[in-house]
Amino acid sequence: MNYDYYDRNKGMQLARAYVPFQRLNQVFEPKEALMKGTLFPELYMPYKGKGEDLNGGRYYE
Amino acid sequence: MSREQKLLLLEIMQYSFALVETNLYLDTHPYDERALKLHNSYSQKYHELLSLYEAKYGPLRYTQMSGCPWAYINDPWPWEIDFDVI
Amino acid sequence: MWIYEKKLQYPVRVYSTNPALAQMIIEQFGGADGELSAGIRYLTQRWTMPTNQAKAILTDIGTEELAHWEIIGTIVWKLVKDATIDQIKGTPFEAHYVNHGKSPYPHDASGVPWTAAFINSKGDPIADLHENMAAEQKARATYEWLINVSDDPGVIDALRFLREREIVHFQRFGEALRIVQEELDRKKYY
Repeated sequence: MNYDYYDRNKGMQLARAYVPFQRLNQVFEPKEALMKGTLFPELYMPYKGKGEDLNGGRYYE
Repeated sequence: MSREQKLLLLEIMQYSFALVETNLYLDTHPYDERALKLHNSYSQKYHELLSLYEAKYGPLRYTQMSGCPWAYINDPWPWEIDFDVI
Repeated sequence: MWIYEKKLQYPVRVYSTNPALAQMIIEQFGGADGELSAGIRYLTQRWTMPTNQAKAILTDIGTEELAHWEIIGTIVWKLVKDATIDQIKGTPFEAHYVNHGKSPYPHDASGVPWTAAFINSKGDPIADLHENMAAEQKARATYEWLINVSDDPGVIDALRFLREREIVHFQRFGEALRIVQEELDRKKYY
């Protein structure tokens, strides 16, 4: 089945939240996946760690 | 727990985790054939490792068979293991 | 039903004895945005959730959260199991100790006991999925604050794992929301 079904011709409506569908691409080896916390490189978003800015919301690398 | 046992358990944990990831992905992408192939290959490897482990060290699940005495209760329990082999 | 597998999901290593840190980590054991809340929240919502995909995601992520609860309990226990009374006295853990000894107990870092008031299940699938996405972000943020105050490399490593899981769970609930929205739209018109 083509997942584009969910996106194609649907358009987006007001007052709704949309998270894009992940499309399976590469995967980490199980050993590395367990250490990182995910099998999928595109979902791996490690915490940069405490810098001077202790406010939240920056969870990209 | 011997180093050998810890390493085998660790490998089981790695494949078990890979399966959790393919499981969650497939829950929202049930028609993804590539994901299914990946999941099935992890499943095969996982069950091989599990059979090996349980035959040697006793059951990790209550559903499995055991020699006498009932090996499922053996220590160490999961929170007691020191994973110093990593 | 639930089956227990005699292994932790992640290989937890704790290198130090630190009751004060244990009291902070316990936030994810019995706190509002912790793993017990997450597990009970998702498993509670299953009965009124439409679509097989969403029922599966609530079941499987809810189950995984209980495995995370076990990891947090393990971290707390490893941080205090060898602690002497002198190491406990004068730390926030002392209050926990006089009630519960060294045993992990589901309250938050301030001692507020776990309550169902920490979770929501509206029986409305759109509300429930948004609740879950918010919960995953709050858990992710809590892990970042915990990483900031931790100094044990093993503890930090486990916290990083648990934080990454929240990001993946957010993605899955987001996808479930798309699927459920699609289904509810479809039923509206046909």
